[in-house]
Amino acid sequence: MGTINAAFGAIASALDADQSALSIVANNVANANTTGYTREIPNWRENPPVEVNGVLYGTGVTGTGPTSVRDNVLEERLSQQQQVASASGTRLSALDTLQALFPPDSGSSSSTAGDIGSDITNFFDSFSSLEANPADNALRQQVLSSGSLLASDISNAAASMTTQRSSLDQEASGITGQVNALTSAIAQLNQEIESATSTPDAGTLQDQREQDISQLSQLIGVNQVTTENSGLSITTTAGQVLVLGGKATPLTTGIQNGVTHFFVGATDVTSQFTSGGGQIGGYLAARDQDIPDALSALDQLAYGISTAVNAQNNSGTDLKGIEGTGTNSAHVAGAGTSPLYLFNEPMQVAGSALSMRVTMADPSQIAAAGYGNGTGDDSNAIAMANLANQPLTLPVATTSFSLVQNLSSATPIIPPGNTVTGTVNLYDSLGNTHALTVTYSNLGAGQWNYSMVLADRLTANTSFANQVSYTFGAGETVDPGTNFTITGATASGGTATVSVAGLTAGEAIGDASTGYVKALDDALATAGVTGVTVTNSGGVLTIAGATATGGSLIANPTASASANGTLQFNPSGNLTTPSTDVADITFSGLSAGAATLNLDWQLYGVGGASNITQTAAISAQRGESQNGSVLQGQIPIDAYASFVSQLGSTVSETQTENTAQTASVSQLQTQVNTLSGVNLNDEAASLQQFERSYQAASEVFTILNTVIASALNLGVQTAVS
Amino acid sequence: MRVDPSYVTNLSAALDQTQATEQQLTSELSSGVGVTSLDQNPIAAGKNVLLLNSMQQDDSFTQSSTMVQGQLQVADSALGSVVSQVTQAISIATGANNGTLNPAQWQAISNQLSGIRDEVASLANTSYQGQYIFGGSRTSTAPFTTSSGSPATTTYNGDETVNSLQTPNGQTIQLNLPGDQIFATSGANSVFAALNNLVADYAGGASVPTAVQDTQSLNTALNYVSQQRVTLDNSLTRLTAASDAVTNEKMQLTTAQTNLMQADLPQISTQLSLAETQQTALENVIAQLGSGSLFDKLT
Repeated sequence: MGTINAAFGAIASALDADQSALSIVANNVANANTTGYTREIPNWRENPPVEVNGVLYGTGVTGTGPTSVRDNVLEERLSQQQQVASASGTRLSALDTLQALFPPDSGSSSSTAGDIGSDITNFFDSFSSLEANPADNALRQQVLSSGSLLASDISNAAASMTTQRSSLDQEASGITGQVNALTSAIAQLNQEIESATSTPDAGTLQDQREQDISQLSQLIGVNQVTTENSGLSITTTAGQVLVLGGKATPLTTGIQNGVTHFFVGATDVTSQFTSGGGQIGGYLAARDQDIPDALSALDQLAYGISTAVNAQNNSGTDLKGIEGTGTNSAHVAGAGTSPLYLFNEPMQVAGSALSMRVTMADPSQIAAAGYGNGTGDDSNAIAMANLANQPLTLPVATTSFSLVQNLSSATPIIPPGNTVTGTVNLYDSLGNTHALTVTYSNLGAGQWNYSMVLADRLTANTSFANQVSYTFGAGETVDPGTNFTITGATASGGTATVSVAGLTAGEAIGDASTGYVKALDDALATAGVTGVTVTNSGGVLTIAGATATGGSLIANPTASASANGTLQFNPSGNLTTPSTDVADITFSGLSAGAATLNLDWQLYGVGGASNITQTAAISAQRGESQNGSVLQGQIPIDAYASFVSQLGSTVSETQTENTAQTASVSQLQTQVNTLSGVNLNDEAASLQQFERSYQAASEVFTILNTVIASALNLGVQTAVS
Repeated sequence: MRVDPSYVTNLSAALDQTQATEQQLTSELSSGVGVTSLDQNPIAAGKNVLLLNSMQQDDSFTQSSTMVQGQLQVADSALGSVVSQVTQAISIATGANNGTLNPAQWQAISNQLSGIRDEVASLANTSYQGQYIFGGSRTSTAPFTTSSGSPATTTYNGDETVNSLQTPNGQTIQLNLPGDQIFATSGANSVFAALNNLVADYAGGASVPTAVQDTQSLNTALNYVSQQRVTLDNSLTRLTAASDAVTNEKMQLTTAQTNLMQADLPQISTQLSLAETQQTALENVIAQLGSGSLFDKLT
């Protein structure tokens, strides 16, 4: 049978356990307002029984310490939602600043960007007014002043946007330090958690880690992977490792094309961050998407208005009777010696808004009259007023080039049946350079065939670790002039670099059994490189498993039929066919979103002499750039109206998104609080419960004490009590 | 069932939101403007740009129209005076062609007609705000000069350019008539040729039949001037009509623009009232919930 002493032991363990539980309740109440604290509950374990004479007797209870009440899945869900809400909140804040530049048009033309619509109307109206009295100096001055207001409002808006973009760039860059501090802290906590406990929960340490993850989620988009011993790995949303156990990989920055790029190790993770969430996602979305879009629309507006007004003014006669240099609608060229431009003439769309200004200082230079008319004529003023209703014309990617070659009289002479090549650099709509090769084949009797090939250098996409890809267009082929190399691990544990020169001209991308993919596989196999796979998916060539890659690929864009033709020279060596310049050569399928390239081959120079038989230096002229052209075909006021509607819609959509996401975060936070927060009512109840238990145990102890005393005194009242 | 112990914090966030709403609504009430940023109503913001554009075009046309009406009225008035002068010349010449006047009287008639011719030439050189209005596009040079001689010759120095004004809906209204189109320096319709011939006829003692024939020519030229004057009258009428139409359109556009952008006062007042009620309710709830916990009951 059990003994009194055993009962003493059992009840003493209960007193200990109750004290422990009261201590846990006290700690919960003490941390009721501590951010990130997870409430703890006491755990009890029945002591192992003892067997006396074949009968099992209980030996009391042991308090096994507190357990934090948390739901890891719920907390991770909250962290994910915080990332998207934080991104949309940051983006919304940037968009609010952006749209504040364009308050709804007040109807008065004033020095605010929001009145650009009124500025446009007043500017073109000033030409309408000039129709009434083309020689009136006050009306002419009005044209210049309304033009100046339009130009300064557009230019100031562009400057403000550029400044905001720069500011967002700095703010995004500034996050790096906070991210690195947090990832280091998480790595440190990982180590402490793993070494401190073998239980699934690490209590306060885990609370701290959750707090750090929560803060990190406000900053960047991350994924969490729980490992054994309560460890945790953190990666970017695209899988770049930031924290692995006790090791953190720092986030670094570098400047590319004037803006901050972010790197994990050597991998550029900027585009991942842009779509990944957190404040940085919001900053980058505004920096790389919203502001450039708005700026591009303003650039197009500024370019369209400036070039159209300049061209029209330059094809008229000013108040002094001086003609411009342009050609009017009747195909008559002006007799002027210098252009009559009202605005500074933009050379390309990009930057047009920022640089827009009125360069004409003398109002008499406004060419209200047409060519050949007196200065009281208003026909050109009408034409300029009508530009308000003309669609904006934006440049296509056109490059004029004159490829100078010495063919028939070349030294040494190229006999019939042989070829000679000439090259010239051309520019696409994005300003990228491409090498155009023209191959001339001598057919004899002064006749030559020509064939043009435009090499398009594809930029490697290395956003993913150990992987590089090139996006070819449909039907594009590989040029033999590639300088592409792959470095990969060999079976012997070393590395080898494979050069892929010497491929067949015009070779298709192919697959594992044909074309360029097979050639790459073969070259890798020859070099002993293992673990590298080459695939072609819809014109995207992907090389996975390479530890390092370098160089670029060259594809052949698709050319129009006129890229091939015949040249005929007369016995004197002069070009007779074609008799004019060739202006309809186009190349499509350029990489990275470049527009179709239009070529204007200037076969004939000044005075009609053929360039082909001359031996002067090879020259090329840079073409105009064109980005997007979202406003192409719209009249100026409609272009501005759609711009403000678009901007407003973007802000409104982001606002709606953010409201929904914030509500979702709030809901998840409520769920987390409901589960893990300290509820004082519950704690009061627990306190009451444990106090009662303690009191009961004390009573039992007292009674046992009395029983022992009676036993010791053998039922007689003595000194022992 | 467990509840979120920090619900009071959530309630205070809701209170903040309510107060922000009240602030926005109060701002709209006080300013009367319903769309203060693009995101509030992107479509309205875009339409607002287009409506203002049309309204400003109307305003601009009204101003130009006023300016041009002055010029057209001056031109019309000048041609009216020309008609009076030429009518008087015909009357004088007709009186002189009865064959009863002596050479001295013919000379006096010649002098009278010469004065009328000079007056007509002066009217043909009428300017408005420093610009000659009958010289086509050559507005800085006097359109007509008369040389001495018998008969004298009147030369046109202008060109054939016709200026016009476009209305906001694209109509074109002619603003001027080239001088030689009205007065014609030679030919059957030429006022100056007829007048110069008559002056020479009476000064040089030409035969009555010649003078009669030249008087008939002047009559023909007068009719021609009157016909040309109708063109300018038509322009004035069209300009007035266009101006009235534009004024009406502006009123309609203003109403539309006001309706588009102004605050909807009854709706805002209702929303404000609801927000205030919500705020009061939230404050009461927070006050009640903040009273304590079960710990208050422990003894």
